[in-house]
Amino acid sequence: MRRLPVYLLIDTSGSMRGEPIESVKVGLEAMVSSLRQDPFALESVNISIITFDRDVKQILPLTPLDELQLPEITTPESGPTHTGAALKLLCEKIDQEVRLGTPDRKGDWMPLLFLMTDGKPSDSLLYKEMIPEVKKRHFASVIACAAGMSAKTEPLKELTDEVYSLDTVDSTAFRKFFKWVSDSIGVGNRSIGATEDLVLPPPPAEVNVII
Amino acid sequence: MDRKQRRATRRNQTACRLNESARALDKALLKAGVSAADKESFLNWAIGSLWNSFNEERMNQRIMIENEVRRLGLRFPNGTVKKEYSVFFNLPVDKISDIELVGAEELGLMLAVGRDGKCSLSGSPRMAGDYSLKLRFKTVEGEPVSEIAIPVAFNPNPRDLWRNIPTDTDIPYYKPDSATGYVKVEAGADGMPKKDIVAASQRGRSHAQEGKARDDHFSLFHCDESDWYIIAVADGAGSAKYSRKGSEVACKTVIDHCKSLLLDNPEFEASIREYEADRENQGKRTDVTRHVIDIIYKGAMKAHEAVRKVAEANEEARLKDFATTLMFAVCKKYDFGWFIASFWVGDGAMCLFDADNKTAKLLGTPDEGEFSGQTRFLTMPEIFRDPDVVSKRLRMAIVPDFTALFLMSDGISDPMFETDKNLNDYAKWEEFYNRLKNGFPDDGIGGVDLTDDNEAAKDQLLGWLDFWSPGNHDDRTIAILY
Repeated sequence: MRRLPVYLLIDTSGSMRGEPIESVKVGLEAMVSSLRQDPFALESVNISIITFDRDVKQILPLTPLDELQLPEITTPESGPTHTGAALKLLCEKIDQEVRLGTPDRKGDWMPLLFLMTDGKPSDSLLYKEMIPEVKKRHFASVIACAAGMSAKTEPLKELTDEVYSLDTVDSTAFRKFFKWVSDSIGVGNRSIGATEDLVLPPPPAEVNVII
Repeated sequence: MDRKQRRATRRNQTACRLNESARALDKALLKAGVSAADKESFLNWAIGSLWNSFNEERMNQRIMIENEVRRLGLRFPNGTVKKEYSVFFNLPVDKISDIELVGAEELGLMLAVGRDGKCSLSGSPRMAGDYSLKLRFKTVEGEPVSEIAIPVAFNPNPRDLWRNIPTDTDIPYYKPDSATGYVKVEAGADGMPKKDIVAASQRGRSHAQEGKARDDHFSLFHCDESDWYIIAVADGAGSAKYSRKGSEVACKTVIDHCKSLLLDNPEFEASIREYEADRENQGKRTDVTRHVIDIIYKGAMKAHEAVRKVAEANEEARLKDFATTLMFAVCKKYDFGWFIASFWVGDGAMCLFDADNKTAKLLGTPDEGEFSGQTRFLTMPEIFRDPDVVSKRLRMAIVPDFTALFLMSDGISDPMFETDKNLNDYAKWEEFYNRLKNGFPDDGIGGVDLTDDNEAAKDQLLGWLDFWSPGNHDDRTIAILY
């Protein structure tokens, strides 16, 4: 059975505390329910969630959509944003969890990565080191989202060409963002093949494209 | 003594006892220093405060038990609509009673609580969605009923979610959502039945869901004059916007090319006979190969060129928008047996299946990447630049006879064989052949009756292509020479 692995990297640093993180949770719930209405996603999408603040944790190992139950997401009072360490854990998890094709086994679809942050990497050296490592992992698409006014898009642009921003970090913005994520996952399900670039559905008005 | 008297006596006795205990209480109060004047207010205060601490104690007990139940961390796994669901857990039945799970019944689930505390929730979920079940139970007599919410999610059955939206006939390069073909070759002068070709192609559910066109294609031909069979199957890349045209052009081109070279080619036929008579002879082998290259390899190149021309004629598209795989075979029966030559680029499967001798010979190797969905396409120029292209992709075989020659797109080979290893396993091909003949009775999918001249087989085959396999909803195309 071929799986479409989807990795969500979510900033849980102190600045996300309160309304922003609650909005993210609402957005994630809406995303999961929406994906469950898509028969293709229901049979193939597997989701993993990695949160990063001072600590980096995989709070949800790669789990089939139909078995998925969203875990608790907590945020510390304050502290740094270890985006680099998050990418490092991501690469480890990809190596462990994503199956490559062998003569005995069908490989997974190429994984998708969505990264959401409201700041900038505090561990910028490690972040830079990890960028080529992430690129080696053959993601079908890497989508980065800078949420809120203090989020920096420059470091994200080094990671991927697909950088988007949200002006606000309220529930409307996150709901729209995660709806778009689920639509993009739907596309990822179908259009992997000859053309290397995944053509994403147009983002909603709340999501700005960073060129 | 009559009844009245007895009752009066009992009353007297009770009154005496009450008087005695009232006297004892007065004595104790005096001893403690409570004056007769304070007696009443003291008693009121004592009863009030004791009642409070009694209540507090009872509430604490309830909360302790509730917490104990909460600490169990009851979580129900997700289920699927109309699929048998059951989950087992334990509850401290020595401490709680009157246990119910509010909301379970409406969802089609039954809670069973055993005397030993072993509980189960089972049934067949009626509706899809996210629900919150309320576990209700009594802890301590006189305390309110306790309630703990337990979330549970039921997924819809993916089979119920598929839609079948017809493809818009106005799109460029429109093609019908399904196709069938049957080439009936009637018995020759000797009265011996001849093999027929049946083929069917069905748009995948993932395309039907979005009203997108079928990308696969097949073409069949039997030359009545020369008795050659030509069969081609192509799988347009899912992500390439005009791959439906690429697959069509590729199939038609190779059929046309092979047809013209096979109609009347005595030199080729002679080289086959000579090679057959002396199989160890390298020179003879080279002769046949030279012809095969002209017919098969040049056919594939022509197909590549033809697709490129179509792409060039379309200003807003590039060659890779027409990406397609291609497999095709030419076959003819001689008095010594069958000659088969083929070309294959991409995934899917092309196999010569012989049930009598229990062999399944793949006519090439599927191109597979490390990740699913990665393959090679006829439209990639590097295919023909590869110095080993002939040895890699061309196959030539002479066999006494065979049960069936299968050409299929990966929409069928993936769910049926899963891996390359299985494609090389005769047992898996035998299993496949049986599935083809018997269908999938549990899913109401009938089999295909592969008997001579049975034209109904094409519709049976199209129906068979609707088989269910989770995660496998690509276009499905198969051609069978049998």
